Amino acid sequence: MLEHLLSGLAVAFSPAVLPILIFGVLGGIILGALPGLTATMGVAILLPFTFGMEATPALVMLIGVYIGGIYGGSIAAILLKTPGTPASAASVLDGHTMAVRGQAARALSISAVASFVGGLISTIILIAIAPMLATFALRFNAPEYFALALFGLTIIASVSSKNILKGLLAGTIGLLVSTVGLDPISSVPRFTFGNMDLYSGFNVIPVLIGLFALSEALSQLEKLVGNKHTPPPKFDHKLLSKQDLKDMLPTAIKSGLMGTTIGSVPGAGADISAFVCYNEAKRVAEDPDEFGKGSVRGLAAAEAGNNGVTGGSLVPLLTLGVPGDAVAAVLLGALIVQGLTPGPLLFAQNPEVVYGVFSSMLVANVIMLGIGIFGIRFFCRIIEVPKIIMIPIIIFLSVVGAFAINNSMFDVGIAICFGLLGFVLNKIEVPSSPILLAIILGPMAETNLRKALLMYEGSWSFLYDRPIALAFICLAVFSVYSTLKINRRKAQ
Amino acid sequence: MNTILKSMLVAGGMMLAAGASAADYPSKNIRLVVPFGAGGGTDAVGRTIANSAKDFLGQNISVMNRTGGAGAVGMSFGAQQRADGYTLTVVTREIASLPQMGLMQHDQDDFKLIRLVNLDPAVVLVAADSPYNTINDLIAEAKANPGKVKFASTAAPNFYLMALEKDQDIKLNAIPYNGASEAIPAVLGNHTDVTMVTPGEAISQLRSGQLKAIGVMSQERISYIPDVPTLTEQGVEVVTGTWRGIGAPKDTPDEVIEILGKAFDDAMATEEFKEFMAKGAMTIHNLNAEEFTQFVKEDTVALGTLVK
Repeated sequence: MLEHLLSGLAVAFSPAVLPILIFGVLGGIILGALPGLTATMGVAILLPFTFGMEATPALVMLIGVYIGGIYGGSIAAILLKTPGTPASAASVLDGHTMAVRGQAARALSISAVASFVGGLISTIILIAIAPMLATFALRFNAPEYFALALFGLTIIASVSSKNILKGLLAGTIGLLVSTVGLDPISSVPRFTFGNMDLYSGFNVIPVLIGLFALSEALSQLEKLVGNKHTPPPKFDHKLLSKQDLKDMLPTAIKSGLMGTTIGSVPGAGADISAFVCYNEAKRVAEDPDEFGKGSVRGLAAAEAGNNGVTGGSLVPLLTLGVPGDAVAAVLLGALIVQGLTPGPLLFAQNPEVVYGVFSSMLVANVIMLGIGIFGIRFFCRIIEVPKIIMIPIIIFLSVVGAFAINNSMFDVGIAICFGLLGFVLNKIEVPSSPILLAIILGPMAETNLRKALLMYEGSWSFLYDRPIALAFICLAVFSVYSTLKINRRKAQ
Repeated sequence: MNTILKSMLVAGGMMLAAGASAADYPSKNIRLVVPFGAGGGTDAVGRTIANSAKDFLGQNISVMNRTGGAGAVGMSFGAQQRADGYTLTVVTREIASLPQMGLMQHDQDDFKLIRLVNLDPAVVLVAADSPYNTINDLIAEAKANPGKVKFASTAAPNFYLMALEKDQDIKLNAIPYNGASEAIPAVLGNHTDVTMVTPGEAISQLRSGQLKAIGVMSQERISYIPDVPTLTEQGVEVVTGTWRGIGAPKDTPDEVIEILGKAFDDAMATEEFKEFMAKGAMTIHNLNAEEFTQFVKEDTVALGTLVK
């Protein structure tokens, strides 16, 4: 294995492959940072260009885009409070708070290092124990997914620590929104009013753009128009301190491990992982009150959590031939077009491709860290751009992004509606992240509960006779309990 | 840069020469609407045929994904575009099923169909260690225990399964998953007993032996899995699968349809396209405009008997 890995590293550093990899990571970061443009889109558009390429460089480029794309979303989340992807929405909570305090460089460097740690751990686990992890992931089905989603929904309490009632209100709005569309089991239209654009429900990307980017732009605009004097943004170039590194490393490592596991389960991706890891970091923290107010651990957990998914999502692809998420589905297509068979045969027949991929993932994470750290000086300039220029740019990018995801003006309308909703909710201090969480997790909970009931012919016994499902349900109960306890302590 | 400039000039010229006739078709970029997401099978077929056909048309074909409602949103969108031959749509089997279920406002009559490109049969798959070795093993179990055999369905409702259930008068417990990428792990992990997908969707698991094919639902055996007998060979007269073709809005001039049809014939004959389809274990099935239209009519009737 080591021999394959070394020759794979030699390939990754070869003059033919390294530039492609750097191009891929950089391209991915840019795509990820722009709202509405996702890594999946970048990978799918690049796919036809890889038909003429050799297998390894083709895959290396696509993987570079993937890894860069997951990280890129956080830069915009931290600096502008406009997460580029749903996966970086959890990074707003602490990352943007730090940036507002003038610690943008610190937040960006924590994000880069945590993403690197998460991605690296994930890749190492992929290389070391992918087949074992795949066996574990196969034990997940409807009951487990339902329990996971239920646990995920309890996170609403934890991300809305200021006022749980308002958080629950936001969560309920999200759940209501998520019921729109054809019902997942019997295809009955719900709240569609005969409008076919609503048949698949609200796409999460325009909702994200509206709730975060547009509503933020509106808030800024209001301040500008109201002519309230805002002091010029201050920021220093101080990166993370040694103490920060010491504080965040255990959290980042743990989140990387959790992210890998979540990523290896088909159907659960970086967005869920970021929030689950954030919740867990808060649960074990000695200072849970700091979370949401610029906590180093909170940011590190979200960042290592979403990048931890990158290696994990390749586990089912490489070991079972089943794509774990949309990006992996495109990679599956790339492998097949190259005449390769993803799955257990790939390791036996084409180890050079497998280890080429593994090595370039290791290198891609290093490149990502490099770009992330050296780019900070450049990224921070964004804060200096006067609001009067920045606000139109954000609005423009939001509209373009909402349109681009599905070439649909309808989605632009959705983004605007949610922008207004987010703006109003901001005013009455109702948090936005629970809405997003509920829109992601609501359909997952509903679909899988109903599938599980079909599977068990109407019996609810799957709630206790499947160990993994039971474990998640216990976690959900515990999560609610510990949040209540923290709150009671605060009240006293 | 130069080509961008050129194409901008061409596009600008086109706007001036409003109402250009079919004679100079195509004189600008063509848009191909794909009603499913980037990265899926329909998207891959659409992008590859677009890439092959552009050389024969002398114009670029750009793919536009318009997803939602199991293909309804994209196909309805494509049907409502200007009938000038510059917006084409990948038409899938859903155009025969969704309108009858009241889930789509447009149907085959809103399109002028150009070419059928791809026709894949469904394959009946069970886990490698499953007790079922033939389709009749499965049918016998379903007859002995109605509604107990768990079927991982790739869509709700599932026409592959309904065709078999109707023919054999059996009932399986259909659990709807979201596509083959979810249904296959459900069988691999022994959460369900059986699934039906196209050969391309399960080619990795078939080659590695993780899944066992107990029958293919085509008239004749297919080249990618030559050892798998058809259902007909096993005495079960059920033939079903899925297909993809290309259509244009219904008022598109016939001359334009002809030019496009010829280009897609040439595209389907290129080595590049053949190789792409072969590697993905997908079958090229070229039907011309009339044959394709008739084919969809017949399929609509066939699906109608299942829906009702």
